[in-house]
Amino acid sequence: MALTDDRIARFSRQLLVPGFGEAAQERLLAARVRVVGASAVAAPALVALVQAGVGRLWIEEPEDVAPADVPGWLFPQSAVGSSRVEAAAAALEPRSRHVVVGPYPMGGVPTATLVFAPSTAQSLAAAEQARRAGLPHVVVEADGEGGAIVTVPPGAPCFACARSAAGSGRPPQPGIAALSALAAQELLLLVALPGTVTGRRIDLVRGVTTTRATARLPGCACAGKAESQGAAASPATE
Amino acid sequence: MSLSGKTALVVGAGGLGGPALLTLATGGVGRLVLVEDDVVDTSNLARQPLFAERDVGARKAEAAAARLRALFPALALEVRDERFTAANGLELARAADVIVDGSDNFATKFLANDTALRARKPLVHGGVLRTTAQILTVAPAGLGGCLRCLFEAPPPEGSVPSCADAGVLGTTAAFAGALMGAEALRLLAGERGAYEGRLFTFEAKGARGRLVLVRKRQGCPGCAGGAPLEGGAPTAREVASSRPGGVA
Amino acid sequence: MTRPAARVDLRAYACPITFVKTRIALDRLAAGEVLEVWLSAGEPAESVPRSAEEEGHRVLGVEPLEGGAVRVLVEKRADARAGAGSAPAPGGEPWP
Repeated sequence: MALTDDRIARFSRQLLVPGFGEAAQERLLAARVRVVGASAVAAPALVALVQAGVGRLWIEEPEDVAPADVPGWLFPQSAVGSSRVEAAAAALEPRSRHVVVGPYPMGGVPTATLVFAPSTAQSLAAAEQARRAGLPHVVVEADGEGGAIVTVPPGAPCFACARSAAGSGRPPQPGIAALSALAAQELLLLVALPGTVTGRRIDLVRGVTTTRATARLPGCACAGKAESQGAAASPATE
Repeated sequence: MSLSGKTALVVGAGGLGGPALLTLATGGVGRLVLVEDDVVDTSNLARQPLFAERDVGARKAEAAAARLRALFPALALEVRDERFTAANGLELARAADVIVDGSDNFATKFLANDTALRARKPLVHGGVLRTTAQILTVAPAGLGGCLRCLFEAPPPEGSVPSCADAGVLGTTAAFAGALMGAEALRLLAGERGAYEGRLFTFEAKGARGRLVLVRKRQGCPGCAGGAPLEGGAPTAREVASSRPGGVA
Repeated sequence: MTRPAARVDLRAYACPITFVKTRIALDRLAAGEVLEVWLSAGEPAESVPRSAEEEGHRVLGVEPLEGGAVRVLVEKRADARAGAGSAPAPGGEPWP
């Protein structure tokens, strides 16, 4: 369906980017993105996804807004103690009439996944779920004011192959907003411009990025087709 | 180090300034001074995080202030609904500990650069164009070059960017603006800037980040032609030849 | 000169929407097809043809309409930078 005038006006600056046109914008508007984790670290990414016109944001987050989540990009002080999902939806929906934000629905079928899980185990599980379903996904590993992003287009080396050898990172610092925004960008590229992004890992340390193509670790289950994996994939050993 | 006694001047509250303001505020800076004279347009909403649907048509300064006050009640916020110009620039710069330039046009970027140098305050410069972001920190008495060392001259008067140049990915601006805010937090904490004398560029599609050295250029009108550390050292010409400025 | 495959009247719009709509219209054409665009005087008339050429398309002609408006004929080129569905850049190289 063609973009209406109001959508053209809203997304005009995006639409002017070479390589990013009507079809790309329509893919975003049709997307259903599962976001795992909605703490303060995820906030800039959530804002960016809503702004870019991702049609549905399905947030998977059981926790309430914590005192550490405020002040920040999304949650006002009054939201502390309330459900993160509800507070996020309340803060995000007024920003765009083109987007619906809510909890991850039972039986929902996402088209892409963005992972801001609080633990490595949860990140691995969410990434594996996305991989088996053949979905493009992006996993964020926070570490102080930076961290790493692993971008997994369908069929690319998985998160387990590419993740940090170190354990969970240092507590997030305010500068981590940049990592969050970058993760949203990676996801948008996967959804809007499929086939143009290969698997990669971006490390952000002290404001500077290093990007490497991801590579499969020998023996990792992600070497096979997503549908044919019956047993759980073995996590990569360091 | 507590930043509650520090002031950051942010020029622009749009695609770059917005994320920078949010990052600075989250980082606990005591006072923010915001300079912005534009009106919220529908097309801003795809990339400017301070504004929502109901803000369309409102003065950006006012809408930004309302959003920041709602999210950061402890923040001291001064809002100047005006352009950053030669008339007010020096006064604004002198009252701040760091300047973050999120403006969207060349003239303002160069003015911010010159003003920061005169006021002897560190400046975090940023620009986004299409899918590429760039950041440079200009530190007074620093070893690196300034914006005029990097780009020898602004584009000629009357050269209008084409329609296609107006394109920008919102996330690229958000990434750059957040990095600028983080850099400002570093500078306020007394640390050396990550982009001091080093231009960081990042292209989105290839996720390609680059650091390019920016040395003082002999005879640069911006840093008063301070003698370069190494005579005849080349400047980042190839970076300068791509179109800077762009949108914010 | 081939007949236009599509016609768009954009005289009611201002920049940069004019170029966005022009680009969307071009995206929908096959290479070699011609788009006829009507643009109002001033910025649209000046910048849209120029932007189209910068993206690699060919402006076949610009004719005056009443009131300073113009009718522009643009041929879509296969190797032009498209707005959508373009071939992936090898290795994710940045666009020039």
